[in-house]
Amino acid sequence: MTFTEKQTDPTAPMHWRGDMQADYFYPNGVAGDKFFKHLMEKDSFLATKCKKCDKILFPARLYCEDCFEEIPDEDWIEVPAAGTVRLFTVATINAQGKKMEEPKVIAMINIDKTDGAMLGIINTKELKRDFIGVNVKAVFRPKDKREGTLKDILYFEVV
Amino acid sequence: MAEEKKYEGYPKYAPGTHVSTKDITERKITYTWWEPEVQYAWSLGPAMSRFLQELKAGKIVGKTCNKCDRVIVPPRMFCEYCFGPTGEWVDLKDTGTVETYSISYLDPDARRIEEPILIGVISIDGASPQHGFMHYFGEMKPEELKIGMKVKAVWKPENEREGSITDIKYFKPLKGGEE
Repeated sequence: MTFTEKQTDPTAPMHWRGDMQADYFYPNGVAGDKFFKHLMEKDSFLATKCKKCDKILFPARLYCEDCFEEIPDEDWIEVPAAGTVRLFTVATINAQGKKMEEPKVIAMINIDKTDGAMLGIINTKELKRDFIGVNVKAVFRPKDKREGTLKDILYFEVV
Repeated sequence: MAEEKKYEGYPKYAPGTHVSTKDITERKITYTWWEPEVQYAWSLGPAMSRFLQELKAGKIVGKTCNKCDRVIVPPRMFCEYCFGPTGEWVDLKDTGTVETYSISYLDPDARRIEEPILIGVISIDGASPQHGFMHYFGEMKPEELKIGMKVKAVWKPENEREGSITDIKYFKPLKGGEE
């Protein structure tokens, strides 16, 4: 069986193009809300202490992820917005797979005084450098422009 | 051995923090909102390509299957009954019969609406029975919409047509004597 008929008009529609709306909404939850509201007003982070495990959880949470112990309010502590690079990668393409004009250094940063870590962008031009073990500190948006998301941290800079 | 715990269903009260729409719109809680760009391109193939091209010209076209003796709309390159290639192109009327319908008081985002959306499947005159497509209905009250009623396409003005199924705005009731 063959199809001899073909669309030969080059102006004829060949594809139907469309957009799919797929909005993503993530409320931060009780602990996350407290964490980000703190971030909107101060240049530091919140963490929580689990006395049973003798661990400081970062980002702050309501329950210890190891022993499931509930964390009381008095065990919320303020920690500096600084840390040490544990892992890093140099990204040259963006989320859409397109080449970026300037590569970005994305790092996993152990936050000081805690046992937790977070991902952050290191603002640097040294793309060949080994960042492991380097001390960095967070640079925030101006306070009046903060909106309570991770984007309030503009980047981390090498101390 | 530990005593086996009997499943008692859902708890009567689920602990947690309830969030209202107001908490979100007035930014009383912090959250992340992201609208990803999700685009698609659907390859039309020769039959759909011509179907849309003809819609732009204000005409509904179908294709025949000579073996199965039927007129197929929307047109296909092969017959889904006998799997043979389809035959000639035929011009169809822009009138038809309501096969099924639905009166929706929810919009595509599932929000409640006052004016219902009337939607259904229309078998097109000139094609084989029960051959047609889905479309909106207009110029009628929801209670007037009945299975078996005759309807006629209301087209967009020619300069607004873009080769889309929405070049037909909706189908309106076809009154006696009208063509």
